[in-house]
Amino acid sequence: MLRDIIRKEILDNITSPKFVFTFLLCTILILLSVYTGVTNYRAEKKEYTASLALNKKNMEAQPNYNSLAGIGIKVSKPPQVLGTVVTGIEEAVGRVAPVNIAADPDLIESKYGSNPVFAVFGALDLMFIVKIVLSLFAILFTYDAIVGEKEKGTLKLALSNDLPRDRLILGKAIGGYISLLLPLLIPLLLSLIFLIVMPDISLGGQDWGRLLLIFLMFFLYLSVFFSLGLFVSARTSRSSTSFLVLLFAWVVIVMVIPKAAVITAAQARPIPSVHEITAKKDAYLQQIQVEGQKSVRDWVTKNQADAAKDPKAWQDKFRQYLQDYQQELTNKIDQNNAALERDYQQKKRAQQNLAVNLSRISPASALTFGSMTLARTGVDEYDRFLASVRAYKPIYTKWINSKLGQSINFQTGEQAKISLDDMPQHVYEQEWLSRSFVRAVPDFVLLAVLIIAFFVGAYVSFLRYDVR
Amino acid sequence: MLEAINLTKRYEDGELALDGLTFKVEPGEIFCMFGANGAGKTTTINLLLGFIPPTSGSALIEGVDVAKDPLGAKRHVSFVSENVMLYGNFTAIQNLDYFSKLAGKRNLAKKDYAEVLDRVGLQKEAFDRRVKNFSKGMRQKLGIAIAVVKDAPNVLLDEPTSGLDPQSGREFLEILVQMRDKGKSVFMSTHDIFRAKLIADRIGFMRKGKLVMMKTVQDLAHEDLTDLYIQYMEEQPAQAAAPSGI
Ligand SMILES: Nc1ncnc2c1ncn2[C@@H]1O[C@H](COP(=O)(O)OP(=O)(O)OP(=O)(O)O)[C@@H](O)[C@H]1O
Ligand SMILES: [Mg+2]
Repeated sequence: MLRDIIRKEILDNITSPKFVFTFLLCTILILLSVYTGVTNYRAEKKEYTASLALNKKNMEAQPNYNSLAGIGIKVSKPPQVLGTVVTGIEEAVGRVAPVNIAADPDLIESKYGSNPVFAVFGALDLMFIVKIVLSLFAILFTYDAIVGEKEKGTLKLALSNDLPRDRLILGKAIGGYISLLLPLLIPLLLSLIFLIVMPDISLGGQDWGRLLLIFLMFFLYLSVFFSLGLFVSARTSRSSTSFLVLLFAWVVIVMVIPKAAVITAAQARPIPSVHEITAKKDAYLQQIQVEGQKSVRDWVTKNQADAAKDPKAWQDKFRQYLQDYQQELTNKIDQNNAALERDYQQKKRAQQNLAVNLSRISPASALTFGSMTLARTGVDEYDRFLASVRAYKPIYTKWINSKLGQSINFQTGEQAKISLDDMPQHVYEQEWLSRSFVRAVPDFVLLAVLIIAFFVGAYVSFLRYDVR
Repeated sequence: MLEAINLTKRYEDGELALDGLTFKVEPGEIFCMFGANGAGKTTTINLLLGFIPPTSGSALIEGVDVAKDPLGAKRHVSFVSENVMLYGNFTAIQNLDYFSKLAGKRNLAKKDYAEVLDRVGLQKEAFDRRVKNFSKGMRQKLGIAIAVVKDAPNVLLDEPTSGLDPQSGREFLEILVQMRDKGKSVFMSTHDIFRAKLIADRIGFMRKGKLVMMKTVQDLAHEDLTDLYIQYMEEQPAQAAAPSGI
């Protein structure tokens, strides 16, 4: 009997106009998005290779270590191959980190930064399509699953037989789910084939694992909406009501909660504004200046006796004192600025984390962060890269400083030719799959819990559902 | 055999829809229930099918209490509902096939379905057409076919003739008579006094959830059913007549 119900449910769904419509739209959207992703990735990769070569050529062209130190080295961030399906923050963050003796390295030249119009369109990656469009389809497939049969009178007719209700809802759930998967699986498989046959796209063993997990997450996410739809359709007595309730829930889940999380986090963990930081820096500067003036006066008073004895020596001593003291103050200011900056970054990070964790109660955010983690296109991978560059900076600085010291011939003033052979290279170890997976586990768990909760809700509601 | 014993239903909003209803439909008998809109006919059928629980009293099908063992009871009953839309994307045959399987009839071939559909008077061209575009009467016929295929010893029909044209109405009555002759208990709620008079063995009148009168077909030989109907439906009867013939 269960088989008959499943078969009927599938047949009923796939013969309906909405199925054809969904199937076509899914195929177009999924293929389009993967095609765009692949094209983007290829372009990024080309650019990456070009920038590596250019940087090397540029460095080799320098006449001496002095000018080499002047231009520094540019470390480029390699594009992530899975950005083809989950773009993440790839387009918004910088792709190049200049490393030199002076500044703290940071990533600059983001895609949006160099071409802000892209930011308006946003990324049309597969994750976005799953999150927004396909979740709506999941609702479209289930909003009338129960209540629609009541309206058609078929529920009464079916239950006038010795048919247990749990069997009926189970059959409907399985059949409905299969018919939702059909228009998803086929285009997704097509897009996978597309990824395989495309040149320049080489997926390593780990990438396959990641891709599989990302797709699993997509299905779990859609299942959440599927079982939510089933649940609401078993709690309403009119399909129009069911649809409205689900649409409302969709807006809350996909739009409101993630935004509200950001706002709440900003309230709960406020970070000082940039102006505040500047004001603090200025205040410290002023304080230092006042202190400095006083110290200088004190020094002068203390050493006044010497000035009369030997003015020339006194002047030299004073100049030396000023120079040292200036250096000391500069260090103090730098340290204070750095502390303020660290504090600011820490607070910003705390707020960011709170926002992310709060929003994760929404399956849409769980999908976003989970899939970004798995695709290595999230904030964490960006941080890993930046950390690797920052760790590289002292290594590079040490090397270039030693070269600078050795290369000048003090007798002739000649400078040695540069050689990059022994220059230490920047190493960037991407996160291992097992690590990424562990970090995505909470998202998987949340999605699974929601699926089960909604399904149990649907099940229990249906056992008591008024079929008349 | 269908049986209602002191069946009472008070809805959640306080509406007393059935008030101590008692009747019995013997095997080989057609029982027609009359009653103005809101008298409680559909409520009675819903209780007999276990769709709603009784406030008190019991409904029995083949001696099985529906409230206690709904699945066991429903094995023995087929049901034709008032206005069933069925699955619009399916053809008549596909609909019939699905519901036959739910009823436990798994070995039927397409020609068996065609035969039943033919019997209920559905035109041949419609067998393989999607039900979406069926007229009300055509859907009604399909609903009757579903009940015929189940072939249960008890039949519940809620205003089954409402959409039928005269020709189909006659064919429908023939089917009911065949069912009775096969020993089934048939309970039909209806407003159609003319057709009911042609086939009913007994007739009941309901008013505000109570059975106010019951007549056998022999009683009716000497009376005009229309007059009776008007007398019992439109006005308060002179005295609350004790239901006879139970
Ligand atoms: N779910 C419900 N909640 C509250 N009252 C209800 C409910 N369903 C029916 N009723 C009430 O119960 C009474 C009997 O209704 P029922 O549907 O059984 O009448 P009926 O005899 O089938 O009428 P009709 O000839 O119009 O089909 C009516 O007064 C109706 O308003
Ligand atoms: Mg009714």
